[in-house]
Amino acid sequence: MNPRPWWVKVGHRSLILLTAVYCLSPIYFMLVQSLKTPQEDLFGNPFIVVHPTLENFEELFERKGEVRGFVGDALRRSYPFLDWLANTLIVFAGSVAVTLGASVAAAYALGGLRPPGFRWWRRAIFATYVIPQTILFVPLYQVVHALGLDDNLLALLLIYPTMALPFCIWILSAYFQQLPREIEEAALIEGASRTTAFFRIILPMSRPVLVAAGIFALGTVASDFMIASVFLLTPHNQTVAGGLGTMDVALDELVVVAGINLLAIPVVAISAVFARGYVRGLTAAMVEGA
Amino acid sequence: MEAPTTRRMRRGREISAAYLLLSPTVLLLLTVLAYPIGWEVWTSFTSLSPLQDGATAFVGLQNYRQQLGTLEFWWAALVTVGYAVVTSVAKVALGLGFAVLLARPFRGRALAFLVIFLPWAYPSGVSVIGYYWMLNPPISTAYAVSLGHLKYSVDSALGGGAWAFISVILFNIWRGSSFIGVLLLAGINAIPRELFEYALLESKSAWRRFRLVTVPLLKPFLALAVFLSLTSAFGDLANVWKLTGGRIVFPVIGTHAYWLAIKQGQFGPASALSLLLVPFLFGVLLVLFRFFDPAERKAT
Repeated sequence: MNPRPWWVKVGHRSLILLTAVYCLSPIYFMLVQSLKTPQEDLFGNPFIVVHPTLENFEELFERKGEVRGFVGDALRRSYPFLDWLANTLIVFAGSVAVTLGASVAAAYALGGLRPPGFRWWRRAIFATYVIPQTILFVPLYQVVHALGLDDNLLALLLIYPTMALPFCIWILSAYFQQLPREIEEAALIEGASRTTAFFRIILPMSRPVLVAAGIFALGTVASDFMIASVFLLTPHNQTVAGGLGTMDVALDELVVVAGINLLAIPVVAISAVFARGYVRGLTAAMVEGA
Repeated sequence: MEAPTTRRMRRGREISAAYLLLSPTVLLLLTVLAYPIGWEVWTSFTSLSPLQDGATAFVGLQNYRQQLGTLEFWWAALVTVGYAVVTSVAKVALGLGFAVLLARPFRGRALAFLVIFLPWAYPSGVSVIGYYWMLNPPISTAYAVSLGHLKYSVDSALGGGAWAFISVILFNIWRGSSFIGVLLLAGINAIPRELFEYALLESKSAWRRFRLVTVPLLKPFLALAVFLSLTSAFGDLANVWKLTGGRIVFPVIGTHAYWLAIKQGQFGPASALSLLLVPFLFGVLLVLFRFFDPAERKAT
């Protein structure tokens, strides 16, 4: 590449900077607020924190029994935040696992084994995205109730995967479809069974695409608070997003902002670790012969 | 070479294995989507309501006719389409910008990529609360007064609730442009480097190269991005509801249907309403399939 003139470089740098401000400012903003005391929240500068405190985070973990005295008890609500965090972890991990398991199986069926009409299967599965979720939870509640899963985390493990499955199946099957058939044939000639060939050769090869599907599933699952708050009823069964949004926490309290950050940290960390793999996987999935 | 019969037997086994592997997905989709959507279609033809006395009657297309006859429906449809179009255009434009900015290697590219990735990676079930804090702040905050003034002036210019709706749009764009940016960057990475170098020899104008090389090659990614963006806007109920606190002046189809069903108990009209835009979205998908799932793929 020929060297670029200095003004292109400066322009590029400043656009990157602008992008960074745009992308990060809401996140920065939430972090700043969560570190404030109520006094500073009321009188301070919204963009900086002068006397950072962790008391909002501590409040999240306070149990009702630990707050002494009648007044303290009446004034302070308790949040089963640890339960929420544990539930969220279970739901996220479980949903991603279910999504990946189901989508790898389906994608290999469609892209690798290719039953008759496999392209229409794939299109039909993808087309489920046009179904509006709006009032679907009314009949969905009937289903969940019939299965005896209301107020049970398992209900979410059933519902969340369907939100990410179509996209995951799409990219995984596109990837499997473009893998040269010779790779598998060679293994079969060596005497390996199809199953061994799949687990030993195909699956390790598809690591980037699996990462992409997993990160997509995680992002999709983490975007919901509505379904969580509809299907999980008792406070200690909530997830963080559902709990902060609906239970006896008012959205206007500083604890809520602290809670946001606490949930975000692990999710963001996982995403950051896999960020490069995510792009590589998307690229690999969409390009023929990659 | 195998004998034709064993070949055919093997193919038969492959096909049954394929159906077996598809079954978990199909089962999940059937439980979570098939019955509910069937219920919704059926309900849209009835007068089902928990509030009415007597049995539920089959009313045919009456709910649809009634919805099409109300001003509220057309208002909600207009707002929904506007919301979808405005956010999609902005998201694709911003996403394309992000992707182009990161297309060539430079120092700190990995960090810049992480920055673009974050708005989507940040769990939006809670970042929407952050947006609420930022744009519709609680009274207890230092900036509540100044933002309150802004909100008031926007609302008085565009009608009550406008500011809240704008914050929904801003949130949707913020998160969506991140997703699309990353998707398009994956697309740009897929374009062979030599192609850009040839293009450089052919034309000195960066804009021409962008328009004639980058954009056409990104078409499948762009189509996928547009579709996912449209569905997220059409299906959006939760974020609109939360950011506007249910005080809805600019209803989208989702919130209007939710209102009809949950607050007024009119399940029939609500079902009809939420199904009315599905054919439209389906049509869009069929058109977009031509871009991101072209028929030539069959040859591979």
